[in-house]
Amino acid sequence: MGSHYEAPIRKPLVTGNKTYHQISVDVARPIEGSANKQWWIVFGISLTLFMWGIGCIIYTISTGIGTWGLNKTVGWAWDITNFVWWVGIGHAGTLISAVLLLFRQKWRMGINRSAEAMTIFSVIQAGLFPIIHMGRPWLAYWIVPIPNTFGSLWVNFNSPLLWDVFAISTYLTVSLVFWWTGLLPDFAMIRDRAVKPFQKKIYSLVSFGWSGRAKDWQRFEEVSLVLAGLATPLVLSVHTIVSFDFATSVIPGWHTTIFPPYFVAGAIFSGFAMVQTLLIVMRKVCNLEDYITVQHIELMNIVIMITGSIVGCAYITELFIAWYSGVEYEQYAFLNRATGPYWWAYWAMMTCNVFSPQFMWFKKLRTSIVFSFVISIVVNIGMWFERFVIIVTSLHRDYLPSSWTMFSPTFVDIGIFLGTIGFFFVLFLLYARTFPVIAQAEVKTILKSSGDNYKELRDKKK
Amino acid sequence: MDKNLKKYWKSEIELTNSAQVDTLRQNEFLDSLPVDNILEDDKSLKESSTNRRDFLKYLGFSTSAAVLASCEGPVHKSVPYVIQPERIRPGIANFYATSMFNGYDCANILVKTREGRPIKIENNKLANFHGSANARVHASILSMYDSARIQGPISNGKDISWDDFDIEIIQKLDSLRFNNKPVVLLTNTIASPTTSKIIKDFTDKYPNVTHVEYDSISESSVLDAHEIMYGKRAIPYYDFKNAKYILSIGADFLGDWLGSNYDGEYAKGRIPTKSKDSKAQMSKHVQVESNMSVTGANADVRVPMKVATQKLFLAHLYKKVAKLDLILPELDKIYEIKLNEIYNELISFGNSALLVCGIDNVHAQILTNSINDLILSEAKSSTKISLIRKGDDKKINEVLTKINRSEISGIIMFGINPAYTLPNPDLFSSSVKKLEFSVNISMKMDETSSICKYVAAASHYLESWGDFQFINGEYSLCQPTIRTLFDTRQSEECLLRWSGNDNSIHNVLKDNWNKNILDANSIWNKAIHDGVYSLEDNFKPKLTNVDFSDSISKLINNEVKNFELCLYSKIGMGDGQQANNPWLQEFPDPISRVSWDNYLTISKIDAKSIGLKNYNEANGALNSNYAMVSLGDSEIKIPVLIQPGQAQGTVGISFGYGRSSGLKSEMMTGSNAFLLYKNFSKVQDVVIKPVHEIHEFACVQLHNTLMGRGDIVRETTLEVFNTKNKNYWNPIPVVSKNHIETAVNKKEVNIWEEFDRSIGHHFNLSIDLNACTGCGACVIACHAENNVPVVGKAEVRKSRDMHWLRIDRYYSSDVSFTDDKENKENINGLSDSLTVFGDMEDPNENPQVVFQPVMCQHCNQAPCETVCPVAATSHGRQGQNHMAYNRCVGTRYCANNCPYKVRRFNWFLYNNNDEFDFNMNDDLGKMVLNPDVVVRSRGVMEKCSFCIQSTQAVILKAKNEGREVDKNEFNDACACSAACSTGAMSFGDINNKESEVYKRKKDDRVYHLLEYVGTKPNVFYHVKVRNNDKLKNI
Repeated sequence: MGSHYEAPIRKPLVTGNKTYHQISVDVARPIEGSANKQWWIVFGISLTLFMWGIGCIIYTISTGIGTWGLNKTVGWAWDITNFVWWVGIGHAGTLISAVLLLFRQKWRMGINRSAEAMTIFSVIQAGLFPIIHMGRPWLAYWIVPIPNTFGSLWVNFNSPLLWDVFAISTYLTVSLVFWWTGLLPDFAMIRDRAVKPFQKKIYSLVSFGWSGRAKDWQRFEEVSLVLAGLATPLVLSVHTIVSFDFATSVIPGWHTTIFPPYFVAGAIFSGFAMVQTLLIVMRKVCNLEDYITVQHIELMNIVIMITGSIVGCAYITELFIAWYSGVEYEQYAFLNRATGPYWWAYWAMMTCNVFSPQFMWFKKLRTSIVFSFVISIVVNIGMWFERFVIIVTSLHRDYLPSSWTMFSPTFVDIGIFLGTIGFFFVLFLLYARTFPVIAQAEVKTILKSSGDNYKELRDKKK
Repeated sequence: MDKNLKKYWKSEIELTNSAQVDTLRQNEFLDSLPVDNILEDDKSLKESSTNRRDFLKYLGFSTSAAVLASCEGPVHKSVPYVIQPERIRPGIANFYATSMFNGYDCANILVKTREGRPIKIENNKLANFHGSANARVHASILSMYDSARIQGPISNGKDISWDDFDIEIIQKLDSLRFNNKPVVLLTNTIASPTTSKIIKDFTDKYPNVTHVEYDSISESSVLDAHEIMYGKRAIPYYDFKNAKYILSIGADFLGDWLGSNYDGEYAKGRIPTKSKDSKAQMSKHVQVESNMSVTGANADVRVPMKVATQKLFLAHLYKKVAKLDLILPELDKIYEIKLNEIYNELISFGNSALLVCGIDNVHAQILTNSINDLILSEAKSSTKISLIRKGDDKKINEVLTKINRSEISGIIMFGINPAYTLPNPDLFSSSVKKLEFSVNISMKMDETSSICKYVAAASHYLESWGDFQFINGEYSLCQPTIRTLFDTRQSEECLLRWSGNDNSIHNVLKDNWNKNILDANSIWNKAIHDGVYSLEDNFKPKLTNVDFSDSISKLINNEVKNFELCLYSKIGMGDGQQANNPWLQEFPDPISRVSWDNYLTISKIDAKSIGLKNYNEANGALNSNYAMVSLGDSEIKIPVLIQPGQAQGTVGISFGYGRSSGLKSEMMTGSNAFLLYKNFSKVQDVVIKPVHEIHEFACVQLHNTLMGRGDIVRETTLEVFNTKNKNYWNPIPVVSKNHIETAVNKKEVNIWEEFDRSIGHHFNLSIDLNACTGCGACVIACHAENNVPVVGKAEVRKSRDMHWLRIDRYYSSDVSFTDDKENKENINGLSDSLTVFGDMEDPNENPQVVFQPVMCQHCNQAPCETVCPVAATSHGRQGQNHMAYNRCVGTRYCANNCPYKVRRFNWFLYNNNDEFDFNMNDDLGKMVLNPDVVVRSRGVMEKCSFCIQSTQAVILKAKNEGREVDKNEFNDACACSAACSTGAMSFGDINNKESEVYKRKKDDRVYHLLEYVGTKPNVFYHVKVRNNDKLKNI
């Protein structure tokens, strides 16, 4: 796809004088080699967190939602905060693989595989919360429109929670198909290199009989393009629908028309931050610095900076509109957000999401790997606080002052959140050891146009 | 065999060789089963192999057998009636009129029974007096199903039979009489003619017995004053309906003052009704008090004042009214001005003014009576007196001294718990333990029972016969509504047996009524049906000359050196008899909104100077320091609650808490204030020291002020109400529609499709904020009707109270709510808004108070309904917002999206769960459950249903009887409106143009809560009108 010429002023996307074979070797290395000590340590920690989370979930389901810190006024807190946070993180994958594909951004090729993996794993985390936050999760299937013999019972299509069910499940399905399609040639590569029979069998199963014929490649390209077209609206729709949970309500601080674009921008923001966090570690551990270059990191930092600024703009618009609306409840809701008992959460959010990405205006900082890593973590924290601020500070002081109260999490709230982080990393670490973490087939297509050695060669000729 | 019958053969052989076929038919198993071979021969058994198919068969059989064996359905034991009783129809409630008096509370009530099981208390509308139950009376039904009740007589710690018990007691009594050793019969106030007669027979039989009446919270000063002035030991009766100007000096007459039941009559005068030609009128209520009481909260003007100053104030008032020439110590300037204003108003109202006084001092009461007589107050009844308190402090002190000095040999008690309610319970206990003979007739193994040698298990009033005369000439009957649950006997029955009378109490009661009470035209059956019976009996006072100047000098002769402690009783707990009642423990105090506790109320300034504070934890829960309150050698450690409106220099503690015996450990809450009730005086001079330990409160309302949100509780003054247009004081919110301001209730603003509601019933609930006194009877009635769970102190602390109906209480931050609103509207700029809103979080030192009952508003366009993913909450044809518990999956989205925050979530399983060991965790306590209302499981949302089970019952009843539903029949269907004695709540069908609620809906004062949100609630409120145009709070 695309032109085979890349301007000399553009920085090469593959460095280290790679050949096609070297790319195959580099990508297959983590799969074919054995895990090192660090991997086992991190995996052990993640697994422990995951198990702790499972314990907390079992405790919740067996005893009741009362084990959380919620109360009559604040009916959602960490549960839905975590849900929205994880869904938001999931956004970057689709954006990178679908939208950037359509825009022919080739730098996506080094990162899209992991970004998509991250998407799927985080949507899995997100999907947990709507189920376990229910008082009676064993009846969760009632929110799906299954023809039933219960009588005239049917779901309520007016409810944004139902829209969520469709939005999230569609998103997960499309992302998974898209991801797997991209994986086929790469799995086939691993299959072809595999020497152990078991490995060979597994990889031939998961590569769906990829043969590498020209017809395969042509269909592959077509399917990718079609799926990218399908997935692009999802980038906008999923978080728009998640934001409807709040925007369609009557609670001051939730009832806001700005929410759909604001949530989408925030989601891309947090998604890129999470991709950044994961890849900075991964390129180091898996020796992939030649494929995920400083150039990649810089470009992602620019996306973070821009989306961060959009989010900041949205925060300020919210404050303005609250004042401009002239509705006393709206005005107080936002005044309370910034200066009420949860002021620290609001200002944590403002600092992390609005101020910290502004450092990326400096080239020196946005090309610094350590700094990028720190900012990516900060943004992740900030985006968690954003959801916490929206949910808890709007609920805890709404219309009637008699119901005003506070929320404070219990160990179960915290345990379940940590559990999902553990679960996410368990999945990601397993992925890093068994999946081709770079879309090598795609990277190979740009090697001749964007590989440093080839570019140098070509520029010399001129 | 019938020849015509055709015969079929199964085969040819059957035709030819029927004998062979017959033998075959007899023998079911052609070959004998090789059971013996296998089982007898051990060897072959061991050698026989099991092939795969057999193995699978065994496996299949044993698995399915094991599974089937483990699938045992729950066994519900139910015993059918052997003989179906008349009048009990399954599913139909029966009502019985009865009355109750426990020495503290009294009421004429109806008892709702289902299948012979009393489940709820309702008001008896036939009663002229005391016809409404307060929160405690409503809750008393649960006290019958109390698992801590004594289930049979106990002698020296051993369970014995009544026969043996009676023999022992009679033996003892005979020997005491024989030796002429004095015995005391110590009881609560006896307001019952029949019981008095039984006691008289008893003391006649045993002349060595003297009967003394004892009130746990003494009203001796009022009784003494009445006796001195009018010659009869009684309580004056006030008719608040006739009072246009009410001045109360320390009298909490909407609370527990004198066991009164005045709120209904009071509220009638508080509703401003406009007639066409004249201006609307309502009574004016001025309250001078030290603690913030419910009465003070309802007053138009409230003046916080120390009791010592109140006495002086009263003396000055008397001086002015009586036009005396006396030299009195001067009042503070600020009070002096107030006194003049109040005096002028009081006089201007002439004989429609009324003074009530709660100062616990005989001279204060004398002056009060005298002022009322001087102004010829019509509201002080000239013919009626109240007979529900009779205790005499002097006599009690005498008896106690005798007991302590061992001058008495025996004691018989019932209806009281002196080992808890006396200020020196240890001395009393040790003295009683030394007595030769001590009996307590009690329902509980309480503090007093545990020191007595004999404990006679008493019946609950719902298991008893009896009669009362609360007011002269007004009789009440008490009849059992269930056979005694345990082997218990009511105290009258005990006394009858011990005085050798074998007649049942029923016969004695009936005889006494037929002989002495009922006149020739009345019959017993009618009286027992009505529960009440009136006789022409006017009280004629014997006036005596009283030396008022002596009273004045004695009244004002007092000094308080330290803090003035004003002991009071809370609406929830009263004198503490029902401390083991979880409904009452969880009942939030109307003023402080704290449940499960009593506390030291103190003004903010005093708290600061002593170093006491209240603060909120991270989850919002309220914490405080403790204070050590000491009085002489008694001291109690008690948590502190900073109370807006508390007069500086005074503190308050409520009675009724700190029980230690005869109740579950969860219910042993608070500290015992009776320890500070020295000399039976409600005002004490105490020293307060801070204790730096943290106390955890369970408070249901953590934010006390209205934050200037005048839209939530609308109010105006009488002057504005009378002179200005409705749109001025009760405007309908507007929204901009095409840049034109349009009222939110207009059709064009509505984005919803509305269906026709003019057909069938359409339920509305009207709540008049002028009439609501915040008494909380509705809260308990709702608890009882709807099986609302009790969640306990720890959960209430986490803001997880389950009350379907709550009564919000707001304090003003400035002097009045109007000022708050103005302050908010005058905010100029961001920094100003921060300071103004910051200031608004704290209540004023002497705030205005408002009560607002809030339950599900049953919005016609309900935000909760649209967001439920499974449509578990949806709208009813009759206007209710339904909640299908079985369909709820518990996302809590509905609760989040409810602007009124009335939805309650079952965070845990609240029934059959040892973690929540309240009435729904034991079989006895579960008997109170309403069979018409499902008990919710964990994980589902619940909320007010407009008592749909009862409205439906009313509709079905009318249908069965082939008639239309009566215009106000629905009012009694809703537990809250039925319980409301002030008429603040009215429920009914607005499609019936005759109904009360329809008329009320047409009122100018109607507004909907948060109308601008567009929810179109079916609950509407009436603007509160305050009669405080001239006189303001200070």
